[in-house]
Amino acid sequence: MVKPKQSLYWCFMGMLWLLTLPAMGQTREVDLSPVSGTYAIQNVNIIQAPGRKIDLGTIVIKDGLILSVGKSVPIPADAQIVKADSMYVYPGFIDGLSHTGVPKPKNDPIDRSKIKDPGNPPDELAGIQPQREVRALLDPKEKSVDALRSVGFTTVHTVPYGGMLPGQGAIILLTGKTGDEMIYRDNVSLFSQLKGAQRIYPNTVIGVMAKYRDLYRKASYSKEYQARYSGNTPGMVRPGQNRVEEAFYPVIDKQQPVTFLAEKVLDIQRVLTLQRDLDFSLVLAEVKQGWDLTDKIKASGAKVFLSLDMPKIEEDKKDSTDTMNPEKEALEKRKLEMKRKYYQQPATLKNSGTRFGFSTLGTKNSDLKTNLHKLLEYGMSEDDVLAALTTHPAELLGVSQALGTLDPGKIANLVITDTAYFAEKSNVKYVFVDGKFYSYEKKKERRPRVEKTVAGTWSYSTETSNGTVTGKIVIQGDPGNYSGMVSNNFNGQTVNATGISVNGEQMTITYTLTIDANMLNIEITATLDGDAFEGTMAVSNFGSFPIEGQKDPGSKN
Amino acid sequence: MKNIIKLTALTLLVLIIAPAFAQNAKGKTGTFALTNATLETITNGTIQNGTLVISDGKITAVGTNVTIPQGAETIDCSGHILYPGMIDGGTRLGLVEVNSDPRTRDYSEIGEVIPQVHALTAINPNSALIPVTRVSGVTTSLAVPSGGLFPGTAALINLHGYTPDQMFAGFKAVILNFPTTAKRGRFDRRSEEDIKKASEKALKNLNDAWDKAVQYHKIDSAIKETKSKETLDYYPEMEALLPVVRGEMTLLLEVNAAKDIKSALSWIKGKELKVVFTGVSEGWRVAKELAEAKVPVITGPVLSTPTRAYDRYDRPYANAGAMQKAGVKVAIRTSNAENVRNLPYNAGFAATYGMGKEEALKAITIVPAEIFGVEDALGSLEVGKTANVVVADGDIFETKTQVKHVFIEGWQIPMSSRHTKLYDEFLERSPGAKK
Amino acid sequence: MIKNVAPIVLLFLVGNLYGQQKGSVLIKNGTVITVTQGIKENTDVYIKDGLIRKIGGGLSAPKDTKVIDATGLYVTPGIIDAHSHIALDAINEATSPVTSEVWTGDAVNPLDISIYRALAGGVTISHAMHGSANAIGGQCETIKHRYGTVDPDELKMAGAPRTIKFALGENPTRVHGSGNKILPRTRMGVEQVFRRSFSEAREYQQAWDTYNAKKDQKGFKGMPPKYDLRLKTLADVLAGDIIIHCHSYRSDEIYMLMNVCRDFGIKRLVFQHVNEGFKVAPELAEFGAMASVFSDWWAYKFEVYYSTAYNAAILTENGVVTSINSDSGELIRHLYHEAAKTQKYGGLSDDQAMAMITINPARQLGIEDRVGSLETGKEGDVAIFKNHPLSIYAIPMYTLVDGVVRFDRENDADDMRIYVDPEEKIEVTLAVSDSDTDRCMQDTEFLFKE
Repeated sequence: MVKPKQSLYWCFMGMLWLLTLPAMGQTREVDLSPVSGTYAIQNVNIIQAPGRKIDLGTIVIKDGLILSVGKSVPIPADAQIVKADSMYVYPGFIDGLSHTGVPKPKNDPIDRSKIKDPGNPPDELAGIQPQREVRALLDPKEKSVDALRSVGFTTVHTVPYGGMLPGQGAIILLTGKTGDEMIYRDNVSLFSQLKGAQRIYPNTVIGVMAKYRDLYRKASYSKEYQARYSGNTPGMVRPGQNRVEEAFYPVIDKQQPVTFLAEKVLDIQRVLTLQRDLDFSLVLAEVKQGWDLTDKIKASGAKVFLSLDMPKIEEDKKDSTDTMNPEKEALEKRKLEMKRKYYQQPATLKNSGTRFGFSTLGTKNSDLKTNLHKLLEYGMSEDDVLAALTTHPAELLGVSQALGTLDPGKIANLVITDTAYFAEKSNVKYVFVDGKFYSYEKKKERRPRVEKTVAGTWSYSTETSNGTVTGKIVIQGDPGNYSGMVSNNFNGQTVNATGISVNGEQMTITYTLTIDANMLNIEITATLDGDAFEGTMAVSNFGSFPIEGQKDPGSKN
Repeated sequence: MKNIIKLTALTLLVLIIAPAFAQNAKGKTGTFALTNATLETITNGTIQNGTLVISDGKITAVGTNVTIPQGAETIDCSGHILYPGMIDGGTRLGLVEVNSDPRTRDYSEIGEVIPQVHALTAINPNSALIPVTRVSGVTTSLAVPSGGLFPGTAALINLHGYTPDQMFAGFKAVILNFPTTAKRGRFDRRSEEDIKKASEKALKNLNDAWDKAVQYHKIDSAIKETKSKETLDYYPEMEALLPVVRGEMTLLLEVNAAKDIKSALSWIKGKELKVVFTGVSEGWRVAKELAEAKVPVITGPVLSTPTRAYDRYDRPYANAGAMQKAGVKVAIRTSNAENVRNLPYNAGFAATYGMGKEEALKAITIVPAEIFGVEDALGSLEVGKTANVVVADGDIFETKTQVKHVFIEGWQIPMSSRHTKLYDEFLERSPGAKK
Repeated sequence: MIKNVAPIVLLFLVGNLYGQQKGSVLIKNGTVITVTQGIKENTDVYIKDGLIRKIGGGLSAPKDTKVIDATGLYVTPGIIDAHSHIALDAINEATSPVTSEVWTGDAVNPLDISIYRALAGGVTISHAMHGSANAIGGQCETIKHRYGTVDPDELKMAGAPRTIKFALGENPTRVHGSGNKILPRTRMGVEQVFRRSFSEAREYQQAWDTYNAKKDQKGFKGMPPKYDLRLKTLADVLAGDIIIHCHSYRSDEIYMLMNVCRDFGIKRLVFQHVNEGFKVAPELAEFGAMASVFSDWWAYKFEVYYSTAYNAAILTENGVVTSINSDSGELIRHLYHEAAKTQKYGGLSDDQAMAMITINPARQLGIEDRVGSLETGKEGDVAIFKNHPLSIYAIPMYTLVDGVVRFDRENDADDMRIYVDPEEKIEVTLAVSDSDTDRCMQDTEFLFKE
C-alpha cells in the first residue's frame, strides 16, 4: 500500500527524472587527469621577463613550479613534451582587477517593503558588505575564468560585485576545481567603489563618501577600544561585535590596502580625497583618465592599475565624400585628441616614474590584445607592456617572489603564443596555470547555428528616469511563433505582449501599459547573448532606457 | 479688559484697512493727452517734446503740434518717454497660475493632434500674474498651448479685460511642435539612434495628419464648389487645420535645433502656408537659409544657456541679432508666464549683443504686430492705432527705468499689482518688531 | 565657427594651472567701483601675486606685468553668488531628512562648462550648495571659478568658513513626508527635525567632552561614545563653526527657524530664497540673520505665490544684509542685471545694488575680509565691464580670479570644454537648455512619478 503522501513523493521524483532526461542524453565531459604533472617545453623562444630573452630554449615544469629554464636543460623522464617548436613563451599575465570567477548576481529587485526608512536601510541593501570574502563566491566553471585564461591571463585580483563596499578581494590562479583551490592569497584588499545604493542611503557620491568616512572612523574607535579591552581590564564595558567595522581593522593597521575602482578623472581624485582624509594604503584600479593626475597620484603613494578599456579610434575615416563643415571638423579633432589620451596614458605614467599594471574589469576579452598592441603606437615598448602585464602587477600585488617571471622555483604560470605575442597575428596556443596545462590549439568549432528558443521566464531590469524597474517576461511558443506576458514592479501590472520577434541575436518585444489612463507603448529591443540580453526599452514619449535581462535558471530552454 | 481693548482696536484696524485691500483699483477710460514727452513711435522715428492723444481707445494724435481736445485729462510727461505697449510673441500668461500645481496648469491638454483646443478659452482674466506683467509695460502677449504635435490654437491678448473676449487682440494661430532630433534635456538618455527613430516616427505622424487635413480640405472644397448636399462628418481636428492648410491661418511652427530647422524648411516647401518659426534657438547656425526662405521668426527666451556645451557662451544673447542681420524678420518672446515682465530685458540683451537698440525695440513692438497681422492696430505710436501706450521715465530696456503709466486699448491701467501692494504694506511694517 | 586655436588654448590652460595659480596684472585707467569705498574715476588697480596691492592714479608695475587698458570701462569686484549648484556632480542625498554628514565638496566638478559661462558673466565665486530635499541637508562648498583645471581642490576656496544647507517648507515635506511617509510631512514636523537633531548633537558633544576630559586619566576604563559624522557636524553647527544657509519661503517657517536657533544659541544664519522674508524683515534684522534672495522669481510653486520682487529692497531698508542669488546655471551668467532689478523694484542706489552681488554675499559666506570689494589687501577677483554693470547694455569684458585672467571676451574661444566625451555624438542638441531649471531638487526625481 502506498500512502497518499508517498505517492506524491514518487510523483515528484518522477517529474524530477523527466526533467533531468535531456541532460542525461548529452555527452558528459570527460575529465581525466593528465598522465603526468611534469612538462617540458622545448625549442621555444623564452621571454623570462621583460628584457630577458632566451632564443630557442627549454622550460621544464614540475609539481606546479618552474623546475628549470635555459638554453639546454635536462628533461626529466616523466615529462610530457609540449609541441611548441619555435613558439614564444611568456610569464602568465596578471590582471589587477576584475570579477573573474565570480558569477554576476541576478538583478533581483529590492523588496522595498522591507525598507522602513530609506535613510537607514540594512547594510547589505545599502551595498555595505566589507566582511564578505570573494572566496565564498568563486566558481571555477564560471565562463569568465576560461575566457580570460584563453587570452593569456593566469593570475587575477578578483573582487565581488556589489555597492560601495562589496567585500574582500583575493588573488586567484585561473585553475582549480573549487574556489578554495583557485585562491593564491585570500583577503588581499578591501574592495571599494563610489557607487550609491538605489533610492536608499547612501544614494549619491556625496552620500557614499560621507558614509565611508563615518564607517572608517567608527571602526578606528572600536578597534582602539577593542585593543584596550583585550587587556582584559576588569571594569571595562564589553565592546560589541560588528563585522562591518572589523573588516576595516586590517586596513587601519595598513596590513591590507583599499582597492578602489576609480575610472574617471574626478573619481580618481575623489578617492584620493578619501585617502587623504583617512590615510589608508590605496590601490587605484581600472583607471581610465589619470593622465592629468600623475603628480597627484605619485604624491599619494597609491598603486595603479590602468584599465584596458579604451575608446575605439577609427583610423583614417573613409568619410571623405561627406565634406565636413569646419565646426564638425574641429569637434571631431578634439574627440580624436581625447581618445588618444587614453592610449597615451600608460606612457605618460611610465614617464612620470609610476609603475602600474593593467586591469580588465571593464574590457571585452576580444579587445584586450588589440588595445595592448595599440599601446605600442603611443610610446610604450613591448617590454613596457609586458612589464605592466607581469612583473609590475606582481610587485604591486606583493607576489613577485612567486609570480611574474619565468624563473626556476616560481609558480608555473605561462602563456605560449604561436608567434611573438606583439606580432599582429599572434594566437595564444597553450596556457599553464599552476602547472596545469590548457590547450587552445584548436579554435573552438562553432556549432552550426540553430535558432535557439527564447521561450522561458526572463527577469529584466531597466534604469528609467523613475529609478530601476524590474519584472519578468514569460515567453511561450516556438521560434517564429512566440507569445508571452510582461510584468513590472512599477505599477504591478502584468500584460500580454503584443509582439515578440527574434531575428538572429536581435529580440524585439512590444507591449502596452496603462498608467493613469495613459497608454504607454513600450518596445524592448535587445541583443541576445545566450541566456542574457542587453538593449533598450523605448517608452512612448518618455524616452529610452537601458534594459538587461537574464533567463531564470531552470526555466524552459 | 485689556483684551477687549485690543480686540476692539484690531476690529477697527481691520475695518479701516479692509476696504483698501478688498478693492482693487479699476481701469479708467476717457480722453488723455500725454504732453511734453519723447515719443518712440517705432515706425516714424523719435519725436522730442511731443504730445500723444488717446481717445475712445485709439491714438488720435501724435506730434509736436497737437491740439489737446477739450475735457482731456492732461498728463505731463516731461522727461518721460512714450512707447507702444510691448508685445510678447510667446507666453503662457493667463494659462497658468502656479506652475507646480497641476490644477492651475491649463496650457497642455491630452492628445497629439488637437488643434481645436483654444488657449483663449482658458485665459484667466483675473490671474494675479497679469497686473504684475502689464505694470512693466508689456500690454499684449500671445498665449501658447504646448504638449503634443498640434497642441492647440494660440491667442493674442491684451492684458486688460474681464472676459477672454474683452482681452482678445485679434490673432489666433495653430501651434505645431515640429519633430525634433534633439535631446529633451539632461535626463534624456536616449541614444542618437533612438532619437532619430523617434523623430522619424513623429515626422510620419505629422505627415499623416497633414495628408488627412489636405484631403479634408479637398473634399470640403469640392462639396462647397458643387454645392453638394453631402457633408463631412464632425471632425474638429481637421476643421481646425482647414484654414491652416488653406494658408488663411498662421501656423506657428516650434523648432530649435539647426538640423530640425533645415528639415522644417524643406517640410514647408511647396505648401502654401502662412508659417512662422518659433523658438529657433539655433537660428544663428542656419540664418542664411532662414532669410532665403523668408520665414519670420519669434525667438526666445534670449536669457538662456547655449544649446550645446561647445557653443560660445553668448550665442543665445546674440541669436536674435545674428538672424536679423542675415535678413530674417525677428520678434522676441519670453516663453514665460509669471515673468513675462522681463520681455524688455530679453530684448535689451539682444540689443547689447549685436541686434542694436532700434531693431530690438521693433522685435517686441511692430515686428510681432506684423507677424500676427495686427500691425494696423498694434506695435507703434500712430494715429488710428489701438491706444496701447507705455510711459517710462527712461529707456524702456534699462533695468532701473520705471514705468509711470500704462494704457491698454485706451484704458488707463492702475499701476498696482500684488508686488507693489506687498511693497506698500511691508516696507515699513506696522506693527514692526514690537507690537 | 570653431576656431582651430581652441584646443591649443585649452591645453595651455590645463597644463599651467596646477598649484592654484596667482597672477599679477595692472588694470589701467578704469572707473573703479569699489563697492565699499565709493567710485574712483580714471583709476588703476594693481594686483600682484593674486592680491590687490594698490588702487590709485598712475600706478606702475614691473615690466613683464600684464596690463589691461580699462579706459572707458568699469572695474568691479568679482561677482559672488551665494546660492548655486553649478560645478557639482551630486546635489541631493535625498534619502534621509537629515544628512549633515554629506558635503558637496566631494562632488565638485571642475569640468562643468557652467563655470566658464558664469565667469563670462563676471562671477568669480559661487556657493556650491546641497539641494533642498532634506530639512538638514549637506555641507556646501564655496568655490572660486578657477576654470581650466581638472583638480576639484583647486576650485575650493581654502579657508572659507564651512556652511550647511537647511530647508523648510514644501521640498522636505514633499520628499520625506509625502514621498517616503516619514517625518516631516508638515512645517510642524520640520521644526521637530531641527529640535531633535540639535538636541542629539548637544548630547553627543557632551558625551565626547566628558570622554575626552577623562580618557587620559590613569586607570580610565570608559568606552568612547559611538562616532557619528552626522551628529559631529551638527555639533560643529552648535559650536558656531558652520554657517546655516536655509532654503525658505514662508514667513512663518523663517520665524520658526530663528526661534529654534535662538533656543540652541546658534547665531550664524542666512536664509536662502526667503521670498516672504520681507514680511518678517524687522525680526530678521533683530536676529542678525541675513537674506539671499531671487531678484524676481515667484509663483512657480504655491509657497512663492504671495511674494514680491520688492523683497530685496524691503529687506535692505529694514537693515537686513541681503544678496541676490541665481540658483541657476542660466541666471548666474547675468547677476549684474539681476542686481539692477533692485533699482527697478524699490529704487536702491548703485552702491546698494552692487553690494547685492559683491560684499553682501561675501558677508553671508563669511569671506568679506578677503573678497567682495576692491580694497588694498583683498584678493584679486575682478570683473571689468563695458558700460555700467547695472545697465542693460553692460558687457563683461574680462574676469579675473586671483589676478589670473579667466575670461577675456576679445580672446574667447568657442569650445571651452576641458575634457570632451570621446564617444559623444556631436549632432545632438539639447532642445531645452537644461541648466536654467531649478536644480535645488536634482537627484530627487525618482521620488516623483508625476
